[in-house]
Amino acid sequence: MLTGLAFLAPNIVGVLTFTVFPVVFSLTMAFTNWDLTQHNRFKPDASIEFVGTDNFEEMATAGESFSLDSKFFRFLGNTLFLMMGIPVSVAGSLFAAMLLSRDLRAGGGRRYLWLLAGAGLVAGCAVMAVLGMGGAAMVLLLTGVAGGILVGGVTLGQTFYRTLFYTPHFVAGVATFILWKKLYSKETGPINQALDPALGALASAVNTAPAPVVGALPWLAGLGMLWLLSFALGRMKRMWLDGDLGLGAAAMPLALLSVPWAVLWQAGLPGAAGWLLPIGAGGVALVHGLRAARAQDRFPGRSADGFGSAFMLATLAMTGQLICLGLVIALGRLPAMAADGLEPPGWLNNYSYAKPALMVMAFWAAMGSNNMLLYIAALTNVPPALYEAADIDGARPFDRFWHVTWPQLAPTTFFIVVMATIHGLQGGFEMARVMTEGGPAGATTTLSYFVYQEGFETGRLGFASAVAWALFLLVFVVTLFNWKFGGGYADD
Amino acid sequence: MPTTDPRARLHADLRKTAGASALHIVLTVVAFCLFLPFVWMVMTSLKHLSEVGLESWLPGERGFQWGNYAQVLEEIPFIRFYVNSVFVASCVTFLQIVTSALAAFSFARLKWRGRDTVFLLYLSTMMLPGLVMMVPNFQIMIYLGLVDTLSGLILPAAFTAFGTFLLRQFMLSIPASLDEAAEIDGASKWRLFWDVILPLSRPGLVTLGIFTFMGTYNSFFWPLVMLKSEHKYTLPIGLLAFDSSAGQSTHLLMAAVTMSVVPMVIVFVLLQKQLVKGIQLGAVKG
Repeated sequence: MLTGLAFLAPNIVGVLTFTVFPVVFSLTMAFTNWDLTQHNRFKPDASIEFVGTDNFEEMATAGESFSLDSKFFRFLGNTLFLMMGIPVSVAGSLFAAMLLSRDLRAGGGRRYLWLLAGAGLVAGCAVMAVLGMGGAAMVLLLTGVAGGILVGGVTLGQTFYRTLFYTPHFVAGVATFILWKKLYSKETGPINQALDPALGALASAVNTAPAPVVGALPWLAGLGMLWLLSFALGRMKRMWLDGDLGLGAAAMPLALLSVPWAVLWQAGLPGAAGWLLPIGAGGVALVHGLRAARAQDRFPGRSADGFGSAFMLATLAMTGQLICLGLVIALGRLPAMAADGLEPPGWLNNYSYAKPALMVMAFWAAMGSNNMLLYIAALTNVPPALYEAADIDGARPFDRFWHVTWPQLAPTTFFIVVMATIHGLQGGFEMARVMTEGGPAGATTTLSYFVYQEGFETGRLGFASAVAWALFLLVFVVTLFNWKFGGGYADD
Repeated sequence: MPTTDPRARLHADLRKTAGASALHIVLTVVAFCLFLPFVWMVMTSLKHLSEVGLESWLPGERGFQWGNYAQVLEEIPFIRFYVNSVFVASCVTFLQIVTSALAAFSFARLKWRGRDTVFLLYLSTMMLPGLVMMVPNFQIMIYLGLVDTLSGLILPAAFTAFGTFLLRQFMLSIPASLDEAAEIDGASKWRLFWDVILPLSRPGLVTLGIFTFMGTYNSFFWPLVMLKSEHKYTLPIGLLAFDSSAGQSTHLLMAAVTMSVVPMVIVFVLLQKQLVKGIQLGAVKG
């Protein structure tokens, strides 16, 4: 007993002082009105008082009544919006891992690859010659970088590419946030300098193209939205029939799939698209539902089965649908906008573009992250016999992926998504502090930045603690969820 | 089935080469896109102020301005930021490894009443977001008079439940028969810890060390609220301060950013084998 405690002592003293005590302290604070502007040495009369659940009520109200427009819900919305980048990043990591896990060696040794690298360099020089000598120095620079990467990859193989992919994640932090702030700069940033001529060309193309062609573009995006819905529902139906997906586990993915349509309903598209698209979606859902209901021989499964797969599928399809919806809206406005000439936005200073801009940057840092390394490790553990069996059955590449790779990776995916969700809920502080200070007009203020603002800028310690605890509850729910549905993966 | 027909072999070789070539090209394109921001960063850091913001990424007639780097070092105590960051990260890593290893040994290899209850308490604190602790911890730091000191950065980060958990899981995988053998030899618990368990836990210690060092080196929230005076700034805080004071001099800013990114890339290239293993191990255990 004594020996045990003696070994434990140095650690437990620290944990008690800097973790357990603060937790109790913070929980108490959350029910007080402690405010540094009211309670300080210049106002000896003011005392800190318990105010019951006032702080929590304030979070949920704007003005007098309960409202989703309260700061807390708005910033929670921002946080969730930014988290929609997670499935895309995870898909990117998986894509990168699958590329890196392929056999990079050519038949007959490396000499073919050297030929290839040489051909790449020659092609680069040719591009330079075609583009003329005006931008020659820059083309030479970029060709040199690309050629260098190719040669490095041919000589050093997988490790070389892996290092390059991982670098953005490894160095991500204040330094890269400052870098991206400059990349996004409205006037002098390279992103807008590259976009400006491209948008100019697009504007003149739209202005000169026949009206029906331009008018058809939003419909194409709408069709894409319907196709994604149909694809996801079809896959889930298949899984359900095979007994791989239970009804209990399907509930949340189905809800996710309907989110873009709720957004569409809210946005109220003008014209025929406003009612044709929802009807199309209803039709698609009905067809899949009926087919599933009328199927004769359903393989029985448990209700909580297959949550991870369906969840990932649904989040990806949801994000894709939302992107398509954005395109529907943007392409619908395109003719009117093109008439005045298109200009690139001031990304971080623009209310609508600030969040997507941050998400693009986050994707840059997250694609080659630890998740990619985990996927690489998991891919090496997939038994080759499964692929051989699939080949004998005549599986196409997509089937190989969907029926072999994806299920084998399910535990890894589940782990990654849960961790990313927990981090995502608490995330966004650094980006907001360095790049946007939470703006414009609170567009990039996440919950963690909110806690910082209230706790360290305005000094409302009680309220800040309450927000932090609300955030904890959200994380706790995700963790419970993990236990409930992650149990099936624990043995792997 | 290996074939001896030279033409068939050539055919197979060519097909494999075509596949590998396509793969190399895709990988190169992806890596190139990921790398473009860094190219722009380095090139801008070498530009003259009057050429910043021009379309060409390369420095123009004024030539390469290597002096930008010297100018940054003159304007802010950049080296000092490095030293502070490395000092804080090293101290935290050392303290955390020592305290976590001792605690983990107690949880994994010793038997005492209430052990599992205490461990459960440890586990439950791991679920709490760090954010919950920030506000009260800052009040504790005011009380202890540690605001704006490097000790104030080191102390709260030095004792974690996560490190203890990671090492406990690792120590549990070491065979229990070693303990019995040590006991028969008359070794004390301390000898068992120091001579048997600790050397065998090395991969776990390295993993924890790397995680802790990188995490502390990059930490932002806590140093941001704690540090007030420039000579105590860690690298991220120093960069942020430089961004707000010299935000318009993009070339100097990029020089500073380059100086903070390049050493990390070098460290990563040197340590990547350990790192990759550590991450893959940490995810399995954590």
